Amino acid sequence: MNEEQAYAVVGGRGSMTVFEIYIKTTPERLWEAITSEEMRARYSFGVGTVSDWTPGSEYKAEVPGVIEIASGENVEVDPPRRLVQSFTALWSEDVKKEGTSRVTWEIEPVGSSCRLRVTHDQLGEDANNELYGGWPMILSGLKTLLETGEDLDTPGSLRYASA
Amino acid sequence: MDEIFKALADPTRRELLDRLFQRDGQSLSVLEERLPMSRFGVMKHLKVLEEAGLVTTQKRGREKLHFLNPVPIRLIHDRWVGKYAQPWASALSELKKDIESEEKR
Repeated sequence: MNEEQAYAVVGGRGSMTVFEIYIKTTPERLWEAITSEEMRARYSFGVGTVSDWTPGSEYKAEVPGVIEIASGENVEVDPPRRLVQSFTALWSEDVKKEGTSRVTWEIEPVGSSCRLRVTHDQLGEDANNELYGGWPMILSGLKTLLETGEDLDTPGSLRYASA
Repeated sequence: MDEIFKALADPTRRELLDRLFQRDGQSLSVLEERLPMSRFGVMKHLKVLEEAGLVTTQKRGREKLHFLNPVPIRLIHDRWVGKYAQPWASALSELKKDIESEEKR
């Protein structure tokens, strides 16, 4: 077998990462936590995401005047199960150079919990790991918020919140 | 959480995680190369890692690709390390960044 073919290449371009977490909540509450600007800010470095969440709509994650994190299109919107977004990172000149990748959110009920799978793919070969490196912290914060109602306040997790 | 520690308490499984950390999304055929172990043995280890949530898989054609899922380790970090790291972990990572960017120049 050709070794190169054994690696993940999805959508014809670049590499792929997958993150999974189980959260004790309903698909509806999980969907709300992903798409509500206020809830999103509480586990995403203090940065909310604004969109009307219709298929084909744009979204933007920023603290106006302080930091722009990302923007893109909501390619597929199927509440409360599946959200596919194009993703352009904006927080530094380095990450802007990485261009547009894709983020897929999939919610699967499992017993009284949900499995959330975030697939970040169509990343360039040897993509800057800042692009996807924030997901574990974000997902851990999302779990904390939904299960306890509290904010996860580990270092950096709310770095733009008081700005 | 027991499953995570059990999964990590084995050098072969940690080696598999190291390989996925270096290059994510590998098939069993690639992962078993250079491991002094049968394909079946590697499969068994991957299953333990999968059940602990440290490895996730996606099918692509006839192949199953394995991905490192660092989220459970992050949960352990946030449970026991977070508050101790608060005052100076960020200062240390700033220092690391400064040193590394100087080395690049």
